[in-house]
Amino acid sequence: MNVIAAVVQLAAIAIAPILPGAIQTLKARLQGRRGTSPLQPYRTLARLWRKSAVDPEGTGIIYRLAPPLAAACLLLALAICPVAGHSGAFGLGNDALVLVGLLALARFALAAAAWDTGSGFALMGAARDLTIAVFGEALLMLALLVAALPAHSTDLRAMVTAAGGEHIWAAPAHWCGAIAFALVILVETGRQPIDNPDTHLELTMIHEGPLLEYAGRDLAYLLWSAAARHWIVIVLGASLFLPHAGGFAASLGLLALELAALCGAFALVETTQAKMRILRVPALLGVGATIALVGLGTWIAGIGT
Amino acid sequence: MGVLDAGALAGVAALASGGLLSAVNGRLRVGLAVQGAGMTLLGVVGVAVLTSGELLGAAFRSTISPTLGLDPLSGFFLAVLAITAVPTLLFARDSLPGSPGARAIGALTAGFLLALVGVLAARDVTSFLAFWELMTLVPAAAILAARREGSVRSAVYAYLAITHLGGAAVWIALLTLAHHGAIGDPSALAAAGSGAQTLVAIAALIGFGTKAGLIPLHSWLPRAHPVAPAHLSALMSGVMIKIALYGLIRVEFQWLGATPRWLGIALLAIGLLSSLGGVLWALMQHELKRLLAYHSIENVGIITLGLGASLLFADAHQPAWAAIAFAAALLHVANHAIFKALLFLGAGAFQRAVGSLELDRLGGLLRRMPWAGGAFLVGAIAIAGLPPLNGFASEWLTLQSLLHVALRAPLGVALAAGTALAGLAATAALALLCFVKVVGLVLLGQPRRPESARAVDPPLEMRAGMAVLAALCVLLGVVPGLVVPTLAGLAPGAHGGLARGVAISIPGTGSFPALALAIGLFALTALLVRLRGSHRSAPSPVWACGQPVVAALGWTSAAFTKPLRLVLEVIMRPQREIDVVRSGGIVQSVTYSADVSSRVDALMVEPTVRGGLRAAAVARRLQSGNVRTYAAYLLALVAGLLVLVRIGVLG
Repeated sequence: MNVIAAVVQLAAIAIAPILPGAIQTLKARLQGRRGTSPLQPYRTLARLWRKSAVDPEGTGIIYRLAPPLAAACLLLALAICPVAGHSGAFGLGNDALVLVGLLALARFALAAAAWDTGSGFALMGAARDLTIAVFGEALLMLALLVAALPAHSTDLRAMVTAAGGEHIWAAPAHWCGAIAFALVILVETGRQPIDNPDTHLELTMIHEGPLLEYAGRDLAYLLWSAAARHWIVIVLGASLFLPHAGGFAASLGLLALELAALCGAFALVETTQAKMRILRVPALLGVGATIALVGLGTWIAGIGT
Repeated sequence: MGVLDAGALAGVAALASGGLLSAVNGRLRVGLAVQGAGMTLLGVVGVAVLTSGELLGAAFRSTISPTLGLDPLSGFFLAVLAITAVPTLLFARDSLPGSPGARAIGALTAGFLLALVGVLAARDVTSFLAFWELMTLVPAAAILAARREGSVRSAVYAYLAITHLGGAAVWIALLTLAHHGAIGDPSALAAAGSGAQTLVAIAALIGFGTKAGLIPLHSWLPRAHPVAPAHLSALMSGVMIKIALYGLIRVEFQWLGATPRWLGIALLAIGLLSSLGGVLWALMQHELKRLLAYHSIENVGIITLGLGASLLFADAHQPAWAAIAFAAALLHVANHAIFKALLFLGAGAFQRAVGSLELDRLGGLLRRMPWAGGAFLVGAIAIAGLPPLNGFASEWLTLQSLLHVALRAPLGVALAAGTALAGLAATAALALLCFVKVVGLVLLGQPRRPESARAVDPPLEMRAGMAVLAALCVLLGVVPGLVVPTLAGLAPGAHGGLARGVAISIPGTGSFPALALAIGLFALTALLVRLRGSHRSAPSPVWACGQPVVAALGWTSAAFTKPLRLVLEVIMRPQREIDVVRSGGIVQSVTYSADVSSRVDALMVEPTVRGGLRAAAVARRLQSGNVRTYAAYLLALVAGLLVLVRIGVLG
């Protein structure tokens, strides 16, 4: 079982780019366009892999190290994140808070690289990304706290297992946690209404800003990292807050369906919602944090447990 | 007399003689080396006491005759003091000679270290209070020996005034404890009743909290720490404020008898306020040492959160988790001492190389000063709480502790712990934002001023001091599991149980295999760098969407934090003044000033100072200078006392 789980986790390295690709395709269809194929991210990655990288004048080791470091963080995070409640024995543990730390390190590397170039647009994006992350981290921590309530543990495998069954749906805490985690997914993946992944206007870029200077394989690493971030938060959201199936094979099948459904949901949100003013984002995330705290309160008060 | 007693005495003797030697003309470097040897000996003794669990010298007693001794908790703090002080003294051997007042500062450094050791070794109330006051006064003298400007003097005055006013509460707490015979005997205060317990708990919180720099009693810290010489700033921020936490732990955890639940909640609230407030105001600073000083407030807040969680676990009868939360706090004490000392030493190196610590004037120093810059980068990543360095290990433990309080506690406590958990997560993200800014402005990009372009690495021993501290950041980051069980054993009521190993595996967590993560991170990064290959296209200018990247358009410290300042306008209340002088329709000059003032200063400190001055003005009227008036005062005093005796209030 461990070996199969490990293979599935490693397969995520290859599967992850399909998530942003599928969201883009579904979004195009919802907007009445034909759009690109869901496999477009793979074509982009292949194209970038053949191109040479660029080192702008004056940049140093931090700029050069940031893309591999960010990708390495995401690779480790993939090994920590269980798929369908199972994880291979990589010897890295399965702790939710370690996962949060790795995502933060990737963010640090990219923002520091933006300083190394000194490009105003990159720094604008980095500053906004880190500002939103302040509220995003707090919300993420509260959502994980609510998700840890049934298992009394931050071991992701135990959390996923404890979130199975029918009785969990009687607890309001589960619903509150689901709402909070949905916002977490929006923040971490940088999708509307918080960020617009399709923007071509540098002034409105958040996640895309620090990528502007990169090219070739460096950019390929960074685009893959963004896709892996999609995979981790969406898979975690589905595993922790959506229905489970019995066996491993059945849960994998159900997970695939849930991922497709979530991609559709995010495409729908992207189609119907405009990007919100950046100054409004903390208020939205604050509402999420309040909902998570209410969930915590209902669980401790014993409602539905 | 055992080996350890002899070692401790030899260490103290070396420290004292090193101090005297430093004052001799031309012997400053030797004196500092002897001080370092003394601190090394004391550190070894501290580690020996910590690991063996034996008592050295006397035990605590409530008498007033001076006695000295060490127990494992003192041993731990002594070890932290030593691992911070030895590299710092090494650094000072190159940084101090030639600066104004060098010999006096060298001698006072030894005095300061002796006072710190004295507080840790004091076993009775007299020697504790004596060393405590010395610990406050000696660095003030050293700062005045180094700099004579009016602004520095006023900062030192504010430091002494605030810490002495707060320090009065330390006297109240300790003298009350001694009065009830409760120093070293928790049952005595419990017998004295809850009134005395509450008095001691609150007085210790105010007194030690002031010295630790907890908000809202922190106003002295960002004034005093930046004006000291680099190695003293490192010791003040790294160790002195931790010694205040040592006092807090002694009183609240060991001598109070039963710890009430409100104390745990209060520690959570104060810790949350300090960590969030400290890092928010640190973000708004544009001078490196001031920024680092505010970060000390943040980190003391994080330690306080761990202590609060520990009290709440003890209150809920979960000794295993109480010990883990206690270990989290102590580990952060050690970690913060190491990386904060490293960052202050780095600031000293930059100051020496560039002549300024204004963030917007530095830049590009990583390439020009690879040793100092590289070590500073390690410290910055550690303080930002990122894996695989030591800051992440202790923040992970603290986050786990708060999370598990929230999982198991009654409703109100759970909500408080949940809020504290979210606050600590936000604090970590803010620290990341802040140190991305610092690293970017100081180390990366192009030099913003010609002085930065000419900067070179400092001499060997300054580099060595920083390198040792950076190595410790890595070491404690990859094998925290070897230290944590020992620290958990120091918690009151702990009885082992935590497995010692490279990974920290605690039931109820997904385990934190720090070494495996660090190796994985390193190996994968190396692999990906190799996969990418070295093929690059011809060098090109920074694209920046076609805009020229010139220094005048470069991003500043204020610009990078602007989104946060806008989002938190309600709390920060930033002020901005732009003065445009026009004449004949042409702009002649533009002056710009912006400031984010401290809300605590505006709402609490300034009214207190105004009230104090007004009260002093009233009291001054009593001093007429007329002898007959004073005779009348005496007569009135005697008459008043007689009346009190007559009606039976006195005697």
